[in-house]
Order: sequence, then structure tokens, then C-alpha cells
Amino acid sequence: MTVLMEIKDLKVHYPIRSGFWNRITDYVYAADGISFTIEAGKTYGLVGESGSGKSTIGKAIVGLEKITSGQILFNGEDVSKPSVRRKMKYNKDVQMIFQDSLSSLNPKKTIYQIIAEPIRNFDKMDKESEKQRVIQLLDIVGLSKNAMFQYPHQFSGGQRQRIGIARAIATNPKLIIADEPVSALDLSIQAQVLNFMKRIQKELGISFLFISHDLGVVRHMTKNIAIMHLGRFVELGTREDIYNNPQHIYTKRLLSAIPQIDIANRDANKAKRAQVEAEYQEKRSHFYDQDGLAYPMHQISDTHWVSTPPTNISEGAGK
Amino acid sequence: MSEKNETQVQQSVQGKVPEIKDGAVIVETPSTWRTIKREFLKDKVALVSAIILAVVFVTVIIWAFFIPRSAVTNVNIIDQYLTPGTQGHLLGTDEQGRDQVKMLIASARNSLMIAFMISIIGQFFGVIVGLITGYFRGIVDTIIMRVIDFWIVLPFLMIIIVLVSIVPKYNEWTLIWIIGLFAWQGTTRLIRSKVLSEADRDYVRASKTSGSSNFMIMFREILPNLASLIIVDTTLNFAGNIGIETTLSFLGFGLPNGTPSLGTMVSAATDPTVLATKPYVWVPPVIFIIVICVGISFVGQVFRRAADARQRLG
Repeated sequence: MTVLMEIKDLKVHYPIRSGFWNRITDYVYAADGISFTIEAGKTYGLVGESGSGKSTIGKAIVGLEKITSGQILFNGEDVSKPSVRRKMKYNKDVQMIFQDSLSSLNPKKTIYQIIAEPIRNFDKMDKESEKQRVIQLLDIVGLSKNAMFQYPHQFSGGQRQRIGIARAIATNPKLIIADEPVSALDLSIQAQVLNFMKRIQKELGISFLFISHDLGVVRHMTKNIAIMHLGRFVELGTREDIYNNPQHIYTKRLLSAIPQIDIANRDANKAKRAQVEAEYQEKRSHFYDQDGLAYPMHQISDTHWVSTPPTNISEGAGK
Repeated sequence: MSEKNETQVQQSVQGKVPEIKDGAVIVETPSTWRTIKREFLKDKVALVSAIILAVVFVTVIIWAFFIPRSAVTNVNIIDQYLTPGTQGHLLGTDEQGRDQVKMLIASARNSLMIAFMISIIGQFFGVIVGLITGYFRGIVDTIIMRVIDFWIVLPFLMIIIVLVSIVPKYNEWTLIWIIGLFAWQGTTRLIRSKVLSEADRDYVRASKTSGSSNFMIMFREILPNLASLIIVDTTLNFAGNIGIETTLSFLGFGLPNGTPSLGTMVSAATDPTVLATKPYVWVPPVIFIIVICVGISFVGQVFRRAADARQRLG
């Protein structure tokens, strides 16, 4: 498999200003030393609680967030500078699907204008072929071509999200960042949109970076999962690694938080959750450094990386 | 031709056609015009104001074309201060013996035109500066907003009077630009605050990732979403600008001599005998100004309510 994108030691820090002179007194470490690679045609999941920095990583990759340090290599080229991105038409290849489908579509523009925007900016087409392309895209996302002349508020949440997807795939991108694309939708629509994204990914061979806090959704969508906590990766591995052999206490805690409908073993499950929580509280100082941040990750198998304290790597791997 | 293309497209994407197919229109929100209409019907005072304003504006604009310049410049002392109704002068004559009705129409045309131009200039610069400062934020925003804060505390009436006195070749356009210098700051603040919230929405981010330039995002994406706000602000500023122009003309620093204005007509009342014994000279322009300004603000309130769903009556 070819490496599409390589992220090396990505850091995004936001300054905190305070005091009389409004000087920078501290930083929020939204993303702190993130490294991973994205291969062409594969889907990656990025999981973490609110505020763990997963959206920040997505925005930094797509170019909406200024990165503090580190490198983003796209096809071997460093794209961390806006001028480089503009010159190579980076966003033609890297697109984004937003969480809030209503606010991500301009209420004053028709669906045609919305979908045609990236086509106009990146692929110079004549009017007729542009129109044909928009009709084709609407067809791909399962909307009739009458939708072209309507406005975003005339559609339901699921339809709007599919319009957002149509816009994202308009320029045949190689990578799409999906920032919690279904968390604003109700469950039945979620499944519809997710299956639909999966099919598009398979048919068009797009890589997805799927950002979510919903472990069930991520399990359904992706084969490779990264767990994030407080701006750092704590565990990275395949779906099986993460779900069947979690190593980090935070991963275990997240997994135990998935609701189960299992009335017969309700008490046993409850006790198990309490035990995981107790373990988390107990080993917290062990798994996180004195600032409360996760340690760098170490490889424990071909596909599995875990953030473990530097002293007992072997113990963490042995479990 | 187009039908042929359609079939081609359908063939080319066959196999990709998904199962999900739902009906198109789900929600129908009322259009802006329908909302405005409903607000007018709920507010009878505004409805009456709108009708009066429409009648007055149309009358003034059309009638003013048929008034020769001589009617407002020729002096005829014999006909001075004729009472209403005499010698065919419906509202009498003024100090120079000019027909008051014709004066009123010509003055209203000038005053309204000047107030309108000032509003356009104020909105134009206010919207552009507001868009830039709200969109780019940071240091640009800080510098522009501090300049505007400084500008707003300046006593603008005094500065206008000074500028009017020192400008060598002075005509109505000079006056428009001089007042216009002080007409855009409030608009800038209003637009900036709205742009600050609009620029944080995902559609702006989506436009950035779609490769649109900052200029395109400001004017093609954000500007249309400010339309209702701009309409409201223009309407209410228009009433205010009529007041500013007439004030200056009243004080003698407005329109140059020979160009009639509602302000100069009212300033006839500075003569104590006219004020006390000849109200027919100055009362008509005063009533005219009051009716126009109050009417415009009622209509402006309706636009404001139509633009902001929380304030709506209907």
C-alpha cells in the first residue's frame, strides 16, 4: 500500500492570554506530538472524548488550523505552509465533511452553487460539463436533480449531510476528513449515511479519516483506530487490537463505557465497569506523567502501539 | 440536446445509483417578502406609513421634474409672504415671493436625494470595512476598531461645519461626501459584529477548503447573509441622514445658495416675526420632515422585525 499522508510530530497549541497586558501566559495543548500515516484507500478512526483534540487534528490536516510545529507530508511533500497548499491545489485532494450539516451549507446559496464551488475553483470546466458533474454528484448521493435549485433549509438532516458529502467528493479527492459526520443525526439516519459513506469509499477508493467519539460507529466504519486523550495518542492499532486487546487504561475505560443491553448479566457488567474505573483511577499516575499527559507510544506488535510509561514497557506489552 | 446528455449521465453512473431516494422538499420556510408582508399587515401604523411614504416619494420625484429652476431662484418681492390660497399659491409664498408648494417639492427632492446618497455612501464603506475587520480579526480588527472609536468621539457636526466652510469649490456633492465621512462608523460596528459570528460558521470553513479566496468568501458567501441587516440599517440611517442634512441647512452650512432644501425653508422661522405671525411659511416643511422621518422609522422597524425572528409580531 502506498503512503498517502504522513504526519510527523504534529503540534497545535493555542495561546492563553491573561493579565493586564494580555500577554501569553500559557498554552492549550490541543494536539501535542501526533504522528501517524494514512495509506491510500484506507479508513482511519480517530476516537477520543470532547476536547481531546481530535477535531483539531482534522482541521490541521485539511488546512483550517495553523500548526505550531511538526510536518504534514502529502505524497512526500510538506504541506504545512498555506502558500504551498495553494500552489499545489492541496484541497482538491484533501476535503472535509463537517459535523453540523446545516451550518456547513450557506443558507443563501442553492445546492447547485454549493456543490459547484470546489469544481469551479479547482477543475476549470465549461458551464455545461459543470452542470453535468453536479447532476452526477447529486445522483451519487441519491438526490434528484431538482435539488439543484433548492436551498439547504428545504432538506432534512440526512439529506443535507449527503449534500455535504457530494461537495466533498466533487473534485475526486484522495483523502476526506470526516469530522463527526453523523453525531448530529438520529440513529436511523446515521446508519443510512454511514453505509453510504462506506460504499462511496469503496467505489471511489478514497481514504477517510473518521473522527468520532462514538466507538460503535468507528468500529463499523474503520479498520485502523487511534485513541486520543488530552491532545496525545494513547493507543493505535487495528480494530481487533483495540477492541479485543486494549492495553491502555483509558482505552479500557472508553470501551467499558459502551452501553450494553444485557439484562441477565446486568450486575456483572456493572461490577466490571466499576472495576475498570477503579483500575483507571488507581493506575492513573502510572500511565500519565506528572503533568497528567500521556507518555509517548511504543510498538508492542506489528500493528499495535500503546502509550506506556518509559520504565516498564515490557510489563505493558506482556499483559 | 440536454435530454440526450441526461441519458448519457444516467448511463455513466449506472451501478452507482444508490438505494436511498427520498422526496425533495421537506420544509418550506416563508420567503423574506412574505414575512415582510405579514409584518406590515400586523402593524397598521407601519402599513399606513409605507403607503404615505410611497405616495410622497413618487409625487416628489415626478413633480420635481416639472418645476423649472427659475421657480425656486427668481425673486419677486411684490408677492412676498402671500397667505395660503391667494393668487393661486396653495401654501402661500415665502420671503422672496416664491410659491411654497413648488419650493417644498424641489426642497424635498434635494433633501431626500442627499440623504439617500449619504446612506448609500455610508453603507458602502461601512459594509466593506465591517466585512474586512470582522473577517480577518486580529491586528487588522484592533487597528480599524480603535480608529473608528476615535472617529466616533469626534464632534462630527462641528467638523462638518468647518470642512464646509473651508472647501473652495462647494456644491451638493461636496456636502454629500463630507457628511458621508461620518456616516459609516456605526454601520461598520454593526456589520463587524454580525460578520464575527458568521465567519465562525462551518460554511465559511467549507468555502476555504473548497479553494475560495478570502475576497470571494467575504463578498460571495458572507455578504448575502447580511442582506436583511443591511436593508434595516440603510432604512433607519436614511431617516437619520435627512435630519443631519436639514440641521446643517438650517444652520446655514448645508446646501449652497440657490439649491433649496427643507432645512433652509425651516430656517425662515429664525425671523421672530415669521415665527410668530406667519406660521404658513415654516410649518409645511416641518410637518413634511416629521412625517417622512417618523414614517421611515416605522417601516424600518418592520424590516427589523422581519429580519429577526425573535421580534416578529406575526
